[in-house]
Amino acid sequence: MNKALRKPVTYILFLLPTLFLFTLFFIYPVINATYYSFTSWNGISNVVKFTGLANYSRAMNDPNFWIAVKNNGLFILFSVFIQVPIIILFSLLIANVKKLKGLYKTAVFAPSVMSTAVIGILWGFIYEPDIGLMNNFLGLFGIDKIYWLSDRSWAMISILITNGWQWTGFYIVMVLAAIISIPKELDEAAMIDGATGWQRARKITVPLIMPIISVVIMLSVAGAMKAADIVLVMTKGGPSGATDVMATYMLKHSIKSFKYGFGNSIAVLIFIFTLIITVLYQLLVAKRTERIEY
Amino acid sequence: MKKSLVMLLSLLFIASTVLAACSSKQETTSPQAGNDKPAEEKVEPFEMKMRHIEIGDSNKNRFGRLEAVVKNTEAENPGLTIKLDGVESEVNRKDKLRSEMAAGNPPDIFDAFGSPDVGVFAKEGLVLDLTPILEEMGLKDKFVSLTPWTHDGKIYGLPKGGSIEGYFYNKKYFAEKGLELPKTLAEMEQIAEKIKADGKVPIAQASKDAWVPLMTTNNLWAYYAGAEFTNGFKTGESKWDDPRMVEAVTKHQDWVKKGYFKKGELGLEYNNQRNQLLTDEAIMMYDGSWAYSALTDEKTAGADTKDKFGFFLMPPLKEGEGTSSMVDTNNGYAFSAKAAEDPRKLAAIKSFIKNFFNEDVQLQSFKEDGMLPSMKIEDSKMKEVAEHPLMQEILARMNEVKYTWPAFDALVQAEVNTELGTGIQQVIEGVKEPKAMLEAMQKVQEQVNEETDAAQ
Amino acid sequence: MVKKIKSSMNHVVLLAYLAVILFPFLFVLFSSVKANNVEIASNPFGLPTEFKFSNYADAWVNAKISTYFLNSLYIAVVASVATILIASMASFAITRMRFNKLSPWLFQLILIGILIPGNALLLPIYNLMRQFNFLDTHWALLVPYTANSIPFTIVILTAFMRSLPTEIEEAAVVDGLRAHSIFVKIIMPLTVPALVTVFIVNFLGNWNEFLLANYFLSEDSLKTLPVGMVGFRDAYNINYAQMSAGIVYSVVPVMVIYAILQEKIIEGLTAGGVKG
Repeated sequence: MNKALRKPVTYILFLLPTLFLFTLFFIYPVINATYYSFTSWNGISNVVKFTGLANYSRAMNDPNFWIAVKNNGLFILFSVFIQVPIIILFSLLIANVKKLKGLYKTAVFAPSVMSTAVIGILWGFIYEPDIGLMNNFLGLFGIDKIYWLSDRSWAMISILITNGWQWTGFYIVMVLAAIISIPKELDEAAMIDGATGWQRARKITVPLIMPIISVVIMLSVAGAMKAADIVLVMTKGGPSGATDVMATYMLKHSIKSFKYGFGNSIAVLIFIFTLIITVLYQLLVAKRTERIEY
Repeated sequence: MKKSLVMLLSLLFIASTVLAACSSKQETTSPQAGNDKPAEEKVEPFEMKMRHIEIGDSNKNRFGRLEAVVKNTEAENPGLTIKLDGVESEVNRKDKLRSEMAAGNPPDIFDAFGSPDVGVFAKEGLVLDLTPILEEMGLKDKFVSLTPWTHDGKIYGLPKGGSIEGYFYNKKYFAEKGLELPKTLAEMEQIAEKIKADGKVPIAQASKDAWVPLMTTNNLWAYYAGAEFTNGFKTGESKWDDPRMVEAVTKHQDWVKKGYFKKGELGLEYNNQRNQLLTDEAIMMYDGSWAYSALTDEKTAGADTKDKFGFFLMPPLKEGEGTSSMVDTNNGYAFSAKAAEDPRKLAAIKSFIKNFFNEDVQLQSFKEDGMLPSMKIEDSKMKEVAEHPLMQEILARMNEVKYTWPAFDALVQAEVNTELGTGIQQVIEGVKEPKAMLEAMQKVQEQVNEETDAAQ
Repeated sequence: MVKKIKSSMNHVVLLAYLAVILFPFLFVLFSSVKANNVEIASNPFGLPTEFKFSNYADAWVNAKISTYFLNSLYIAVVASVATILIASMASFAITRMRFNKLSPWLFQLILIGILIPGNALLLPIYNLMRQFNFLDTHWALLVPYTANSIPFTIVILTAFMRSLPTEIEEAAVVDGLRAHSIFVKIIMPLTVPALVTVFIVNFLGNWNEFLLANYFLSEDSLKTLPVGMVGFRDAYNINYAQMSAGIVYSVVPVMVIYAILQEKIIEGLTAGGVKG
């Protein structure tokens, strides 16, 4: 019956541009990186020496690398368990108000518009221990000075707060787009049945936007694993490496010292770790909450 | 409504693609249009690429000088056009230049760092050996220090300028409180105590970037272990866990413990130490002479800076032992080895060197930006152009220096530098004692030395 | 009555949230008219003592905004639109066409694209651009920008397209529409909220992209806004006031575009009802 949607030629034509660019900009570089990850190439020389798994074992045996892995883990936990609920909450709130909706939708997005480099300088003033906004504010409640970026027990949290500030609005905008796509009739029918706002949100809206929430979670995880810029501008991985993540570890220990091969092995590890987490997520969580119909 | 949107988007896209096609077409047709020029000009035009990092408002004087040099060089070499490509320093150093090197295709003239970068490029035969050219031009002995640019006895580049490091201090405050410049480290500490008792931060420091506190540590160990000591790490002659090194690093940590620096400075950005000094929060600041412009430019420092700040060098352990300061000449220009295969390009490189590395440009750099010369220049000439009192003071202190040495990062391998960066932050943070940190450093140094030996 | 209280509660919560996230912008606005770093550093969130609007004029000249702004706008728009066209075609094929064996695999492959860390891949991409002779033309940014946001865009668009009921195109097929007509006439219009959102997001990424812009372009007349912005904060010095003015120049246009798009298009469409 639906022959039009079964034509292989059409299918291929629709996918061709994507596959072409994907091969050039993703597959080829990844193969390239994987290849060099088994070498001690310095990124410049004509001589490329194979060293087998030496780069990988070097990373695995470096306690600093595992600190970085742990920090990526914190990043993920914070994104998924703190940021995502906030995203859902505020998306629902914004979707449910009638007045000022435009203002809310536009304003929440504002932090995402700033470039990360500038955010580092801006938040440097917010976290400044003596005259900074944060300590001044907490001081109103009699809370002692916190040395946000220099105290290793606070530095990572500071980065996560800033990162959350920057990206929450971005995801809210995406979830809102999903909520808007929900046919109004469903909501109206529920309203006529006398369901309260929260009941409607829980029973109708959230289940319907589950696919996009799932995507938001995936994007947060991928973002958390790749995070580099925000850490660089906030702490440069400091104090003394306490806030390094895998990507900054890679920059610090490879790019700076002409260890292209080693750097690539870290990149490959980031990729593999992310892949494992995503696969686990899809197997354990996503399969239960979303029914994907192909 | 919906249809029109889709239409609009597609139209927008098509229009832009056409635009893109047109704009790139213009570029491909523009060169080699010399056919309809008068026949008497038989000079074949040629182009050279030059990478520089003089971008943005704060570098506008530097860029102006460079442009003038480029114009002169073009005038001296008929047919030559030098295409300037300004790139942000870090992107150039870490990404762009390296990619070009890897592709065997660096710009003809490029901004670079002598050690370790140019050393690595030179090993691959990508950088022009300037030794014969410098000899021919009589320039070889005209530079303050070419150490960072010398690899295996050959000179591969020339430093744009030089810098020294020392303490900028609030002159007004010193005068008000009757403080005198310290002649020994102990006196320096007494001053710091007095400032602290007055409720101010004695020394501005912002250690988010580890190289910032390491400037101080480096100077301390130059006093405790000697100016030449750093040279020996690479060869194994000097040990990081030498008792004198431990003393030096312990001194730095003492200062942290005694509260000579702002609490929480480990999380502050380099620029913040200038802020501390400028806002009178702190009274002294250890920094390179390049901080001159940040402390005198009205846009950053405000209007009343004329007599506010002075400059002194870190005092020695004992009075009269003579001061010791870093002299940095690591940033400058190098040239592509490939370019020199073309005799006209080689000639152009020579005239660029002649036009850029001379007294006039050096004096102008000093006058306009407070950049110290990388070439040996008579004192009297320098004094003539030093207008600002702070510049005069930097100059005077520079002339008093007894021992000079290159910054440690030009003398040790990059991995060692990274490790020391983490190490000094641990010491400041108080999570590691100086001795333990230096012992760990020594292990890394030995490992890296072994690796370098194995590679050669 | 209860309803009113409830809805005003919502507003209270939302306004509080806005206050928190927007407060840092006060720093930018105040600093952009302050006289110098001393004034900014001594009281970062305080009101300016005098308003120095000339910072805006200086920033405009120093960051060469007149040149760079148009380049940025043009590159960001073209690349974002190209991404959307290419990615929506692929998303359509993956979600709506009946190739149930192959599609999940393709989707997973593309999904992997968002997991790849970008930093390590610069050298191969530089080599690609060199071989295509794209360096020093706008293509050197247009093509990578377009390609880089494809995986993300496909992931979002497929999520949206999947939520559309299958009956929609079945009816269309019965009406005799071909695949491309179903795509253009039925699926694309229904996905507009998602398309606009993805456009904004991609536009934003391209608008702020700094590394490639610095890396692949040498010609001054081709460069983009983030390259100009770096002039206010190099490794040794930051001019906070002009930097802040620069931020205003780079943030305001994006906010305006976003506000217009979301007001006029998303809201307009949904308010008009979904008649399909």
